[in-house]
Amino acid sequence: METIAAFLEGPFWYFSAAVFVVGVVGRLALALSLGSSKSLSVPRGSASAGAVRAVFSRFVPRRDFYRRIRLEVIAGYAFHVGLFVLLFFAAPHVEFYKEYILGFGWPTMPRWAFIVVSEIAFAGLIVLWLRRLLHPVSRKLSDAGDHIGSILIFFVMLTGCLALGEDHESLRLIHLFLAQLLLIYFPFSSLMHTFTFVFSRGYIGAGFAHHGVKA
Amino acid sequence: MKTGTTVNRHATRQSTTWLLPVVWLLLTICGTAVAEEQGGGAVPNPGIELWRAVREGPPPGVSRSQVEGIGMTTLIAEGGERWRQLRSNYVAPWGGWALVGMLGVLTLFHLVRKSPERFDGSSGKVIVRFPDYDRILHWFMAGTFLFLAISGLILLLGRYVILPLVGPQAFGAIASASKEGHNLFGPVFIVSLTLFVLRFAQRNFFARGDLAWLAKGGGMLSGKHVSAGFFNAGEKILFWSITFGGLAISISGLILVFPLFGQSRELMQLMLLVHGIAALVLIAFTFGHMYLGSIGLPGSFNAMNTGKVDADWAHAHHDRWHREAEEKGLIEKAPS
Ligand code: HEM
Ligand code: HEM
Repeated sequence: METIAAFLEGPFWYFSAAVFVVGVVGRLALALSLGSSKSLSVPRGSASAGAVRAVFSRFVPRRDFYRRIRLEVIAGYAFHVGLFVLLFFAAPHVEFYKEYILGFGWPTMPRWAFIVVSEIAFAGLIVLWLRRLLHPVSRKLSDAGDHIGSILIFFVMLTGCLALGEDHESLRLIHLFLAQLLLIYFPFSSLMHTFTFVFSRGYIGAGFAHHGVKA
Repeated sequence: MKTGTTVNRHATRQSTTWLLPVVWLLLTICGTAVAEEQGGGAVPNPGIELWRAVREGPPPGVSRSQVEGIGMTTLIAEGGERWRQLRSNYVAPWGGWALVGMLGVLTLFHLVRKSPERFDGSSGKVIVRFPDYDRILHWFMAGTFLFLAISGLILLLGRYVILPLVGPQAFGAIASASKEGHNLFGPVFIVSLTLFVLRFAQRNFFARGDLAWLAKGGGMLSGKHVSAGFFNAGEKILFWSITFGGLAISISGLILVFPLFGQSRELMQLMLLVHGIAALVLIAFTFGHMYLGSIGLPGSFNAMNTGKVDADWAHAHHDRWHREAEEKGLIEKAPS
C-alpha cells in the first residue's frame, strides 16, 4: 500500500498534473492561433461588447426554449455548480491543494454541506447522462468520448463519496487515482468545454454584434 | 545445574503446601461470620444485585452523566442484545435466503416455461409508450435503487458472505465504502422516487379488468395473454409496493441517517428492522420486475430503452391501450 501511495502521490501525480496543464494550455493556444478571418462589412456594433455580453447572457436560457429544456437546465446547473463547489470548497480538497500545489488554503464548507452538495451534483450528473443516452437525438450526437467523460467524472465522484469515512487509505488512493486519470483524459476530450466555452461564446457573440444580429 | 533447579522448585512447592489448609480455614471462618451477620444460612452473591441494577438502569430522572445525550446514563442496553439476535439470527439469514430463493424461482420459471412470443418488429408499426422524461425518471430511480440495494445488502450480509472470501482488511474498506455510499445516495433516491411517483401515479390507479387479470395470474402460467390497459394489475402492484415500501424505507432511513432529533436507541433499532425488511421485500419484487422487463418478456425492454414498442407487442400485452392508441391515430410507422 505504501509503495502505491508513494507512486500516486509522487511521480504519477506530477505526470498527470503536467499532462493536464500542458494539454490544456497547448490546445487553447492551438485553437486561438487559428484566429478568425477579418470581416469586411461595416460594423453595426462593438464586437468586444458583443463577445462579453454573449459569455454572460448564455448562462440564462432563452425564455422561448426554457419550457422544453427545463430538465437540462436544472440538472445542468445542479451538476456544474455542485461540482465546482465540491472541487474548491470541500475540506479534503482544499487540504490537498494546500499540501501539494499552493501551500495555502482557504475556508471550507462544513461536512453536512459537503454531503448535500455532492447529492445535488450526483442527481444532476445522473440525469444529464441519462438524457444523453435516452434522448434520440443526443444519443446519436454523442460519441464514445462524451460517454467516457461522463462516466469518468461519475466514478471520480463516486469513489470520493465512498471514501468519506476517511478510515481506509485504499479508498482514498482509488479516488486519487481516478482523479488523476481524469486529469490525463481531460485535455483530449470534450471536457475542454470547461475552458473553451468562454471563447466559443465570445466568438459567436462578437460575430453577431459586428453584423447587428440581436441574439 | 538442571537438577539443581528442579530440586529447588520442588522445595518451594513443598514449603507452601502447608498454607492451603490455613487459607481454607480462614475462608470458612470469614464466610460463617458474614452469613451470621446477614442472619441467614445461604451466602448470596452481591454481584447479582449489582448487575441486576445495572441491567435495569436507573429510575428515570435519578441519574446524571457528565456527557449529556440520549442513553448516556444507560450502562447496558438490555434490548440491544435481543435486537442483535433478531437481526443476525432471523432478518439476515432469512432475508438472504429469500433473495436466493427468488432468483431460483425465476431461473426455474425461465427454464420450464414455453418460450415466449418474440416481437421482432415484423408489424412495421410502433407506438410511443414512454416519452424521454418517463424513461429518464425510471432509470434515475432504478439506478439509485440498485446502488442502495447492493450497498445495503453488503451492510446486512457482507459479514457472512464477503468477509470470509476477502479477509478482514479488505472487508473493512468495502464495508466503510458501502456505509458512506449508502448514506449519501439515500436522499438522492428519495428525490428520484418522489419525481417518479408524481409522474406515474395517475396511470396506476386500479380499474375494472384488473381483478380479472389477477384472477388469471396475468396468463403467466397458461401462457395466454390476458386483457390489460396501459399497465396491467401486476405492474400496478409493483408500482404501489415501490411507492409505499419506498416511503417506509425513506422515513426509516432518514431517522437512521440523521440522529439529530432526540430519537431513542429503541426507535432506531425498530427503524433498522423496518428498513431492512421493507428493502428485502422490494429487492425481491424488483428481481421479478427486472426479469420481466428484459429477457422474460421479449420486446418489453424497448419501452424503457427507445420509448417505442412494437404494435404487436402492445396488442398482445396491453390490448385495451393498443385499441385506444389505434383510435387516437397514435400508431406510427417503425423507423427503418
Ligand atoms: C435493470 C433492470 C430493469 C429493467 C430491465 C426494467 C425495465 C422496465 C420496463 C421495460 C418497464 C416498462 C414496463 C411496461 O412497458 O409496461 C419498467 C417499468 C417500471 N420499472 Fe423497471 N426496470 C428495471 C429496474 C427497475 C428497478 C430497480 C425498479 C425499482 C426501483 C423499477 C421500477 C419500475 C416501475 C415502478 C415501473 C413502472 C410500473 C408501473 O408504473 O406500473 N425498475 N421497467
Ligand atoms: C431512502 C433512502 C435510504 C436511506 C436514507 C437509507 C439509510 C440506511 C441506513 C442509515 C442504514 C444503516 C446503515 C448502517 O448500518 O450504517 C441502512 C441500511 C440498509 N439499507 Fe438503506 N437507506 C435508504 C434506502 C435503501 C434502499 C432503497 C434499499 C434497498 C433497496 C436499502 C437497503 C438497505 C439494507 C438492506 C440495509 C441493511 C439493513 C441492516 O443492516 O439491517 N436502503 N439504510
